[in-house]
Amino acid sequence: VRDETRIAWLFMLPALGAVGLIALFPLGWTAWESLHVHDLRMPWRGRPFVGLANYREALGSGRFWAALGHTLFFTVTSVGIELLLGLFLAVALHRTSRARGLLRTAVLLPWAIPTVVAALLWSFMFDSHAGVVNAVLAELGAMDREAPLVWLADAGAAWVPVILADVWKTTPFVTLLLLAGLQNIDRALYEAASSDGAGALQQLWHVTLPLLKPALLVALVFRTLDAFRVFDLVFVLTRGGPGTATEPIALYTFTALLNNLRFGYGSALAMLLFLVTFVLAVLYLRILGAGVGGSPR
Amino acid sequence: MRATPYVLLVALGCGGQRAEGIVVTFPASAVGREAELLAAQLRRFSRLHPEITVELRRTPDAADQRHQLYVQWLNARAADPDILQLDVTWTAEFAAAGWILPLERFAADVTDFFPATVRANRWRGELFALPWFADVGMLYYRTDLVARAPATFAELVELAERGRGAGARFGFVWQGARYEGLVCVFLEHLAGFGGEILDGEGRVVVDAAPGIRALTFMRDAIHGSGVVPEAALNWQEEQTRYAFQNGEAVFLRNWPYAWPLMQDAAKSRVAGRFAVGLLPSAPGGSAGAALGGSQLAINANTEHPEAAWRVLRFLTAPEQMLERAAVLGQFPPRVSLYEHPELALPIPAGQVRALIEHATPRPVSPVWAELSEILQVGLHRALTRQAEPEDALSRAAADLRATLERAGLSAR
Repeated sequence: VRDETRIAWLFMLPALGAVGLIALFPLGWTAWESLHVHDLRMPWRGRPFVGLANYREALGSGRFWAALGHTLFFTVTSVGIELLLGLFLAVALHRTSRARGLLRTAVLLPWAIPTVVAALLWSFMFDSHAGVVNAVLAELGAMDREAPLVWLADAGAAWVPVILADVWKTTPFVTLLLLAGLQNIDRALYEAASSDGAGALQQLWHVTLPLLKPALLVALVFRTLDAFRVFDLVFVLTRGGPGTATEPIALYTFTALLNNLRFGYGSALAMLLFLVTFVLAVLYLRILGAGVGGSPR
Repeated sequence: MRATPYVLLVALGCGGQRAEGIVVTFPASAVGREAELLAAQLRRFSRLHPEITVELRRTPDAADQRHQLYVQWLNARAADPDILQLDVTWTAEFAAAGWILPLERFAADVTDFFPATVRANRWRGELFALPWFADVGMLYYRTDLVARAPATFAELVELAERGRGAGARFGFVWQGARYEGLVCVFLEHLAGFGGEILDGEGRVVVDAAPGIRALTFMRDAIHGSGVVPEAALNWQEEQTRYAFQNGEAVFLRNWPYAWPLMQDAAKSRVAGRFAVGLLPSAPGGSAGAALGGSQLAINANTEHPEAAWRVLRFLTAPEQMLERAAVLGQFPPRVSLYEHPELALPIPAGQVRALIEHATPRPVSPVWAELSEILQVGLHRALTRQAEPEDALSRAAADLRATLERAGLSAR
């Protein structure tokens, strides 16, 4: 047995090496960098070791906490809507018998569009003077044509296109995952439930949702971790503005690294973002593990 | 590799003596008439200095990309390229990093240059780059709606409102998106109200009374009188130009590049119906004109400082500047040329001169990019009514001071 174990480790060595090289080395480097001052715009400062000073600066910065708040708000709102909408669409698609292939392709279309393109599309639609959204609102009498709402210049309204664009783009992904989950549920269970007199809602609550839990959790994990690292959508749509009202952590990190060329501080921000997503992932994996392991009754 | 055509062009001019010559490299804009003109001027240079060959390198036109390239090269102490074309806000950064040569050793004579253009190229009292051409922010106005450029901000608002009454959709359009352009617009308002971002000793004074008044005026122009459309808070140069050239605005703040484009009757509805002037001011201030433009500097690690200097001196000589003005419409930074009979600019020379005399450089600081980012956020917060101008500026000022402190550049 010991020999077998040794051989098994030997076989895994290349894979472990690759993981180390690809995942651990950059991570370790970033962690090391985050303990230094390294400002390319202030080369006369050199690259001294400063311990946790960069982390102290980040945790003492209002902009960091605001960005964390924006990220949480974006994640909870967009993922929440996506799960609800995705569940609704998946059930609907599961029930339809005609033109299934066509419908599924249609639903998937937004997912196939690159995020940057999608973000541009939505920014055109929400343009204050030329956009279709304001034109429709004016047509409906909900907006004064001469004083249109400038969505992207309002700290609250700017979230609307951001979240709508994300929902539009990633709901198909959730739908697809849930649809696969639905197809795994034994039809006999519904027949049994209905012969016991359960209505459609009861069936959804007592049969569909418990059995869909693993698929729902997978969708939740993927979407949360993705949403938490949101960058491109915001970068194109609002650039984090107005002011920094829609700036997520990833964009703040980008600004520190690539606008201000503060590699030490930017690395500390990147490590903080990594820590938060890592904790989230571990938490989810525990819940998910329980969800998958527990045998459905 | 991609520089080959220009190398050939330049080499043609210097006959057979190229072999034993010195080669200096110069990354520059490689597209259109600007590149053609530069190649032609360098051919003339080679005839005068057969021992020196100038190799043009293609570089991106976008300032950010070019900056990134330069930082990579210079940070690695590369000796190549020898000559650098700098944006006006880069000189201090590169000088403080020790990446470009001080020019005093060549006995550089800058007495003929506009003081503002030279000031932007000095760091700690030493000259590090020569102005090549100047860019200034100016006020475009519709001559069919307004008789002359307004002298005061109050007058501008009044005329803008009257113009809107006469059918123009917007009163005054400027660049209000959160980017460098917004800082330039603010700088001009700030000068108009008699304020500065940093004072003569490098202290942060943007949160003093003139700054608050200037920012309050800008905010009220959007949310009070409404002469500036709220949409401008997402606009950069081009969106404001389109608004003006479509006949929608009475006033436009923009750079000189917009002039020939808007005089093109095929594309512009206001061709022949606009003029330029100084931006307005308030009592106690004087008209501001943000200074932009290009400078030439020498890589500190060059192996051929003398040859590079000859190229700099040649390209910034009156003859070459006159040619750039005539062909490209770029403003020469030499004062004496505005008396020169051959100076041919699209905009009357007297006006251009007055504009450059009012030119306001952005603070000369090695960390300007970071300072600017802080200002952009603060200004945009106030203009989108997330904070009062006073609070937004005092918070920005605190961040500016912290950044200067971190850089070891605080005023003593």
